[in-house]
Amino acid sequence: MKRGFALYVVFLLLFTVALSWYLTKPKVLYVGLFAGSNWDVPEGDSYAMLEAAIERFEKEHPGVKVKYVSGIRKDDYSEWLAEQFLKGTEPDVFVVPGADFDLYAASGALYPLARSASVDASFDASVYYKSALDYGKWQGQSYALPVGAVPTLMFVNKSLLAREGIAIPANNWTWHDFMQICRAVTRDTDGDGRIDQFGVYDYTWRIAALTNGIKFFSADGRTANLADKKMEEVLRFMQEIHEVNQGQEVQAKDFDMGKVAFRPFTFAEYRTYKPYPWRIKKYSSFEWDCIKLPAGPSGRNSSLIQPMLMGISARSHEQRLAWELLKTICYDPAVQELMLTKTQGLPARRDVVESPQAQALFNEATPGSEEMNLKTVSEVMDDSITPSKFARCLEALHLADNKLQHIIREKDSLSSALSQVQKEINAYLQQ
Amino acid sequence: MDAAVKSEGKSRLLRTHGLLVWYNGLVVLLMAGFMSITQEKIISAMAARSFLATIPIVPLPTAKGFSLAVGSYVLLMLLGSLCRRRNLSNKNLYFVIMAEIVTCLILMHSLNLGYDGVVLVVVADLMFRYQGKNQGWLLLVTMLGLYFMASYNLALFQSHVAPFDAYAAYYRSDVQAVLWAIKNGLSSLNIIIFVFYMVLLVQDKHDEKERIASLNKQLGEANDRLRAYALEAEHTAETRERNRLAREIHDTLGHALSGIATGLDACIVLVDAAPEAAKAQLAKIRETARRGIVDVRRSVKKLRPDDLEKLPLRQAVEKLIFEYSASSGMQTKLVVLGWPKDLRPDVEDVIYRIVQEGITNANRHGQATEVVITIGTEPGRLYIIMADNGKGCAELKDGFGLRHMRERLELLHGRLRYWNDKGFTLEAVIPLGKAGEQVEKQGDEHI
Repeated sequence: MKRGFALYVVFLLLFTVALSWYLTKPKVLYVGLFAGSNWDVPEGDSYAMLEAAIERFEKEHPGVKVKYVSGIRKDDYSEWLAEQFLKGTEPDVFVVPGADFDLYAASGALYPLARSASVDASFDASVYYKSALDYGKWQGQSYALPVGAVPTLMFVNKSLLAREGIAIPANNWTWHDFMQICRAVTRDTDGDGRIDQFGVYDYTWRIAALTNGIKFFSADGRTANLADKKMEEVLRFMQEIHEVNQGQEVQAKDFDMGKVAFRPFTFAEYRTYKPYPWRIKKYSSFEWDCIKLPAGPSGRNSSLIQPMLMGISARSHEQRLAWELLKTICYDPAVQELMLTKTQGLPARRDVVESPQAQALFNEATPGSEEMNLKTVSEVMDDSITPSKFARCLEALHLADNKLQHIIREKDSLSSALSQVQKEINAYLQQ
Repeated sequence: MDAAVKSEGKSRLLRTHGLLVWYNGLVVLLMAGFMSITQEKIISAMAARSFLATIPIVPLPTAKGFSLAVGSYVLLMLLGSLCRRRNLSNKNLYFVIMAEIVTCLILMHSLNLGYDGVVLVVVADLMFRYQGKNQGWLLLVTMLGLYFMASYNLALFQSHVAPFDAYAAYYRSDVQAVLWAIKNGLSSLNIIIFVFYMVLLVQDKHDEKERIASLNKQLGEANDRLRAYALEAEHTAETRERNRLAREIHDTLGHALSGIATGLDACIVLVDAAPEAAKAQLAKIRETARRGIVDVRRSVKKLRPDDLEKLPLRQAVEKLIFEYSASSGMQTKLVVLGWPKDLRPDVEDVIYRIVQEGITNANRHGQATEVVITIGTEPGRLYIIMADNGKGCAELKDGFGLRHMRERLELLHGRLRYWNDKGFTLEAVIPLGKAGEQVEKQGDEHI
């Protein structure tokens, strides 16, 4: 009896000591992110926005420190993150590369955000662009929040169109308009018998399919949707573009020298190359701007967006604080606004993008972009889809690239060729 | 010699179990070590991302996974040794078994189901405590459950562990072949040890059953012998008692009677010739008869009940009543209205026997639950009335007990009456002398 009591007292004492140690130890949250832009454009200070968010967070949560490891290159980040997970030292809040999102969500490494979001009255997921928010979902559950996103737009060489006497197309233009302009500008300007002015560069079947209302894969990533009428329209259009160039491949150099009228361009690229230092360096010989992508006969002027995601580790000891930090970075309007000034992306919150001061901030941060209306960009964002991100989608798309490229060049019978491609890709996906 | 064989079998069983436990510990250590080292190698070889892509979960960090595996195995060993303790209560045993199963699952999970041999260690413990039919279903369910959980092919679990293949796939294909061979070899050896242990265990249980059966047989034989001996002893005591009685009769009555007979012969001769001498002779004969009576009394005294020997009559009767009611549950009440003094031993004897017989009858034949015994004195006599609330006596004919009582009383010139009245009532009257003592003469004549 006496011994039992002593044991009980010792246990109680140890428990108290452990509890007080746990409660009083300084709390440190770690953030994982890479140096450089998420959208592969040169970026000045890649940690500026995070630093600002951390400052806000630490002010609101005294006694909590936020740390991050700097200097991890974007190319190494995926491996670095995997290593941290294997070592058990993964950060509490971290950027989830799109290609790795399914992997981590499926393996239970990501904290299901609904657990915190459903009890957090100050959080409302509907402020995000739907496609950006959905990009952070796996099997209907939200595992990551979008920090920012960039849509794909169409670069227009204003100087070239002016020279040819063609007006800049409106934002609701179609493939038909697009094709007409391409035909009009594609010609031999110096009379050497070779075509040296082109309609479009880097316009791929993927972008065409996107603007013609095609989803490449079924939701579960087990089958491809490449053998229908819409896809035939896409390929016919691609063949036409190919024909206009009379078999000649357009080079990046032609574009840089201002000899191409159009090129799909991400919003991040637009923001990077539009202001002063880069403009001089890269596209100095002509005036240019961006408009929406042309709509196909069965599609709309929609766009592909690439969101940047951040999630919380399921093994984090401070999930409540991690959620608060994630909210500060991805949800706090003041921090979201910093996306416009500190990075080349666009905030993931629609209300921030559409706010009056956003346009001013944007114009200030991106000189020379006065004609770019954020309202238009916001429309693009609303009407956009995100790339597939299941495990084998990249390989499947590469496979499709090769096959379709061949079809476009050989002008085979479209429907039978397409169903053949469909069969091969399905076989690959279901391996 | 039997015990030596048995203890040798026991120690062989224990040794095999020890081997099973330590062998599994070694394999767990090897597996956990292999996985930890491989994981470290994967990290240093910058293959973490592609490794993660091949497994459905994020594995535990190296040190954590290793210590979880080793720690849970140590816990399993402790629980196992607890489970084998004989003095464990059934409730605690179930608790320990449950804890053991849970620990086993944690262990297997921490080894990513790469090694399921530990299940056999748990099964060995369960089998060790297997006690009979009622636990059979429990054992079956547990074993099936463990088997399914351990089953590598179970999709449910496979999607929650990083399989051994994923770890092995890090190495060159020839190394992989060796790794698989080692892994399968370790598993097979474990099964061999387990089967060997089970054979020994079954043998041990069988031996034990045999031993118990043979002990049972021996016990039965000893019982029979003991019964025969008891009969014999009873018989011997009876014979001895008879001999003693015979001797006693011969020594006392025989002696006195032969003396009286001889004296009377002399009287017959003398009575006419010398009446005075005959008178004197008769006086001598009377003396002899008196001595004989004294001797007979002494003999009878030796045959009295033990309690009466040691205690005064009243205490002896009270004790008799108390003990009987205590042992039979019948309520017995003694009412004493008067108690004679200086009773002769044979009268005491009769009183004691009547009370004893009366309450026995009331309980046995009348099935009474209550009996009131009244003892009182009237001038010149003593009476005992025993009234019970039993079912009475239908025919009121002298049973053996009643006849016995009557005979005893008649020897003292007493009388016995009985009737049915809300039960059965019995009245015994014994004449007494004036001073509470019987007339000397009467008493002399009726011993």
